[in-house]
Amino acid sequence: MPVCDPLFNETRRRARRVYLGLIMQELDQTVTIGATVPTGFEHTAAEEVQEKLEATARVSKNRGRIYFDITTDKLLKVHQLKSLDNLFVVVKEYDDYQFKTTKEEVQLDWQELATKLPWTNALEVWKLNNSIKKKKGRRKRTNPTKSDQCGNVGTKSTDTVPSDPEELWEDLEALEVKGNQRDVSSQPENDSEEEKHSEIQDQESGVTPLKFRVTCNRAGDKHCFTSNDAARDFGGAVQEFFQWKADMTKFDVEVLLNIHNNEVVVGIALTVESLHRRNITHFGPTTLRSTLAYGMLRLCKPQVSDVIVDPMCGTGAIPLEGVMEWENSFFLAGDNNGTAVSRSVNNIKHILKRTHDGGSSSGLPLDIIQWDLCNLPMRSSSVDIIITDMPFGKRMGSKKKNWELYPLCLREMARVCKPGTGKAVLLTQDKKCFLKALSQMEGLWRKLHTVWVNVGGLHAGVFVLKRTAVVFGTTSEVVMEPHTATGSQKENMKDASQ
Amino acid sequence: MKLLTHNMLTSHVKGVTKGYPLIIKATEVKVNELEFNSQFVSRMIPKLEWSALIQAAEWLGHSQDLPSTLIPDYENDEEFLRKVHRILLEVEVLEGCLQCPESGREFPISKGVPNMLLNEGE
Repeated sequence: MPVCDPLFNETRRRARRVYLGLIMQELDQTVTIGATVPTGFEHTAAEEVQEKLEATARVSKNRGRIYFDITTDKLLKVHQLKSLDNLFVVVKEYDDYQFKTTKEEVQLDWQELATKLPWTNALEVWKLNNSIKKKKGRRKRTNPTKSDQCGNVGTKSTDTVPSDPEELWEDLEALEVKGNQRDVSSQPENDSEEEKHSEIQDQESGVTPLKFRVTCNRAGDKHCFTSNDAARDFGGAVQEFFQWKADMTKFDVEVLLNIHNNEVVVGIALTVESLHRRNITHFGPTTLRSTLAYGMLRLCKPQVSDVIVDPMCGTGAIPLEGVMEWENSFFLAGDNNGTAVSRSVNNIKHILKRTHDGGSSSGLPLDIIQWDLCNLPMRSSSVDIIITDMPFGKRMGSKKKNWELYPLCLREMARVCKPGTGKAVLLTQDKKCFLKALSQMEGLWRKLHTVWVNVGGLHAGVFVLKRTAVVFGTTSEVVMEPHTATGSQKENMKDASQ
Repeated sequence: MKLLTHNMLTSHVKGVTKGYPLIIKATEVKVNELEFNSQFVSRMIPKLEWSALIQAAEWLGHSQDLPSTLIPDYENDEEFLRKVHRILLEVEVLEGCLQCPESGREFPISKGVPNMLLNEGE
């Protein structure tokens, strides 16, 4: 037991702080962060990383993942990125891991691996991350439709790295990382986001083992084991190595084991993998994750003064995400459903409350309108970008089916969209119907590209369209009957030039 | 509803050919501050129907002596741009209605949201 002289302890703590301070500086080192993103949007996510962190991201062969290197001072900024679903710090990556052919041998390999991995740095990042999460404050689950995502609507909370370096150093002190790595211990963290001040845990005064779990994602047909096998065996090895306690639900550390053919990545989670996310199909296909809404908006590349319309906004996920990031464009959100409209209004009020300082009542460059998208009360050629999540037949509520609805929508959208410069970014699960409707559009739209995405377990497409220079009719055009896709517009049409 | 939005809205009642601009009958108007961006305003101006904007501002009593036709070189006139910014984005109609100038049909505005839905057959 240490000498109990308080002065002695104080001196020793100070010395430790100085030592850790030096380590902190060295810690401002580069680490590899992995992030999951909506599949199909890896490149827009990489763009955001480049733009905001000035880091080059690589897209994994394993869809839905990107990796990038940062210095640890940028960790808070990583959390503020809008394209990323979940974050983890990479412990080690293997490009070409040679798996043995029997379960027993594979298990032995996991045991050996657990002892050889460079855990230290990753665990330090994990610790740093915990204090950052506390400082970030509450990120309410304000997804207008569903709450399966953490921190959907961007928060304008503190922009700086934890303002209290003392607390951070105390956390590290508790970490007490040593050479043989067996003594890694820490104050067990609450998985709630309460602002609890973590106590200094002196190594000699006894340690409480961390709780952990291993999550394994495995893909490939040449493995002789399942993801459960790997999670269990690797978990056992980790437990033995660290003497941590395994706990599937209340864990401090989530170790990630991602196996994609011969690519193996071991990581430590930096965000809480929401249990809801795994069951996203419960919420139905109308749920639009904010990361997906954000990815779609990036595809449009909104410019200053662009008028951006979501004519089927539901509870406003896309326009709200848009107005938070692209403050110099103007958003119009519309829906025919009164409840959807009221919810959108409430969601806006909620954002305004969160972003206003003092008592100033400030607005957003956004308006909401209740309308019928097949007969938009808008002047022709007034819109720069149309972006929406098209219904799968349920939300419209009326008798119109997609095969009647889609041509009408596309036509009306073409009318209001600026010829030559206008764009549309449309998400739909009913790809067949959509493509058929598009082909009936007499050259009003040109397909630029398509991003295949996974929405609530369903295979959907985000179609990026360009409005051609073909001119439409006047504003008082009568709604076209279905199946008579041609009509008086023909007189006004030039040959599709693009 | 902001006047920028109003500038783009038109009556779509069946058979109407002169449905623009919609007449504003406001019972509650509010002014909310919004950050000024000169580039936004100067790029937006060419996209607007200027006379409709002036008319709308007058209906709300916020015309601010804006000219009925655009002056040349407005891009560099910050005072002018700020006035335009105010009308476009800061003056909001919370309650009232929009009226089709041709058919007289009224579309209510409630909590800042216009309801432009038509009934069957309209």
